Amino acid sequence: MIQQHSVLLKEELCEGCTNCVKDCPTKAIRVHQGKATIKEELCIDCAECIRTCAYHAKYTRTDSIEDIADYDYPVALVPPSFYGQFIDYSPGQVIKGLYKLGFKGVYDVAMAAEALTYKTIDFLKNTKELYISSSCPVVVRLIKLLYPELIDQLIPFKPPTELMAQSVRKELLDSGLSEQKLGIFLVTPCPGKTSTVHNPLGVDRSFIDKAIPVDKVYHSLLEVMDKKNSESEGKKGLTPYLGIKWGQSGGEVDLIKPAILNKTIAVSGIHNVKDILEEISRNNITDIRYCELSACTGGCVGGVLNVINPFQAKYNLKKLAEEHNKAVNQDYCLYSYQLSSEFKPVEVARLDSDIEKAMEKLAQLEKEIDLLPGLDCAACGAPDCQTLAEDIVTGKAKRSDCIFILREQVEDLADQMSELAHSIPPIMRKKRREEKAGTQKEVLKGENNKNESK
Amino acid sequence: MEEHAILEKEIDKGDFSRGGEASSELKALLRKLGINNTIIRRAAIVTYELEMNIIIHSEGGNIKAAVSSDEIFIYIDDEGPGIEDLEKAFQPGYSTASDEVREMGFGAGMGLVNVKNYSDQLEIDTAPGEGTSIKVVIAIK
Ligand code: SF4
Ligand code: SF4
Repeated sequence: MIQQHSVLLKEELCEGCTNCVKDCPTKAIRVHQGKATIKEELCIDCAECIRTCAYHAKYTRTDSIEDIADYDYPVALVPPSFYGQFIDYSPGQVIKGLYKLGFKGVYDVAMAAEALTYKTIDFLKNTKELYISSSCPVVVRLIKLLYPELIDQLIPFKPPTELMAQSVRKELLDSGLSEQKLGIFLVTPCPGKTSTVHNPLGVDRSFIDKAIPVDKVYHSLLEVMDKKNSESEGKKGLTPYLGIKWGQSGGEVDLIKPAILNKTIAVSGIHNVKDILEEISRNNITDIRYCELSACTGGCVGGVLNVINPFQAKYNLKKLAEEHNKAVNQDYCLYSYQLSSEFKPVEVARLDSDIEKAMEKLAQLEKEIDLLPGLDCAACGAPDCQTLAEDIVTGKAKRSDCIFILREQVEDLADQMSELAHSIPPIMRKKRREEKAGTQKEVLKGENNKNESK
Repeated sequence: MEEHAILEKEIDKGDFSRGGEASSELKALLRKLGINNTIIRRAAIVTYELEMNIIIHSEGGNIKAAVSSDEIFIYIDDEGPGIEDLEKAFQPGYSTASDEVREMGFGAGMGLVNVKNYSDQLEIDTAPGEGTSIKVVIAIK
């Protein structure tokens, strides 16, 4: 079976420190028997745990650049953020470098991002509500899991990566290439995007075949790229497009806001994203029509698979966008924006499918929570007392997993033992006393012996 | 149908930093019961408006929530000025919040209007100087 997730764990490296447990935005990690495990149904591949783990026990499952050899016609999709990884090499050189690595075509996701900008503007002009960008797959998964009430507020279009992949696929197949020969490789800044290849969002089946991480492409590229000043354009000529702004936080709204009276915000970093979603959910966000949300701080330049410092990358990207501040000449109608599979809620929170039974379990849960100390220390391997209580009620953990409860239990046990010791029937107690006296005598004797032998 | 209490929270006057806690907690609890997301959203909005009302307009109070197999109940009880003119309080944009509070972006006068729009049943018991009790019912199906 193909694994659905891209963030995985090397058990042998895990020290059981519980740092990741506390940091995971969906409370997907538990430490049991000194080793972390990720609950697949809760993981959204945000990579926070990769960032947190000091022992590098978390890693990303990815495809490799050698996989190019499996296809007669491999092509690369370059996401907007990728150009931010270079300051000494122009986009044209980067593209040329990718050809040298064996790709037969190189395409800019920025093109589709730009098209999606206009499509989104059209869409927003016909609505009054607040809408949330659906371009970061981690944000979409977070909403499906923790804020399902906001699914209807997601922009109902495919993300730029899928739009681009679909358009490239169509173009190449129409030109006579056979399906088996074509391999579409996404150069990915994050495990979130990697996961969409096998666990697609908004489409029944991803149009992308493989995802190779930026850090693996980066070094191969450095070896083959020409030095500065040998400018060479990519296949599509006009690169980069205005859409490269989408690679960093604020870029998306930069392009969209003039059309909707600047009623936009851009929020980045998974914990900030959670906060804003909470506010949207309680209707406490006013006047704003469009929210650009990125799971990574700084946007995709902050993706965990990148090489360059996110803020440097952001700077590089902005600089490029300013230099090439023009839109590409393309037909926006050529993309098929509509989702082929709706965003659906992931229901894992419910305690029981029957509401009456769920209520009983909820009452049990409340009791369990009252018993626990409420310190949220994570020493039990769950992120907080509430979660441990849930694990207890659903049979996945024991009350004594809490070290405070365990300590109390040990104390009780000790009391009971001492009580028991004193409640030995009198006749036995006498016997025991004699026995004890006997051993004492022996000891005395032994000591006497020692003395004698001197 | 039997009501099961699921939430009870004291709310202090002016404690903006904890505004929204009751709403978030209720949302999480209702999700555990497997209640429909649209209904959960309505309960969350109502709860949030009510807790903010206590924080902004009263001297403090409490909020309680309960569920039966077909309804959600939200109760608030606060000490405070009470609502002078109920009819006015239901006019969109009518507000008695201080400028200070309005500057913080609260008290835009949509509170009770929102509560009414998102609930199936709303009972208000209030008199000037005697505080306010509100009961909201939201049907689960
Ligand atoms: S990738 Fe994110 S959601 Fe998944 S386990 Fe790590 S921190 Fe949690
Ligand atoms: S913001 Fe981060 S997780 Fe989201 S698409 Fe960009 S790099 Fe991936």
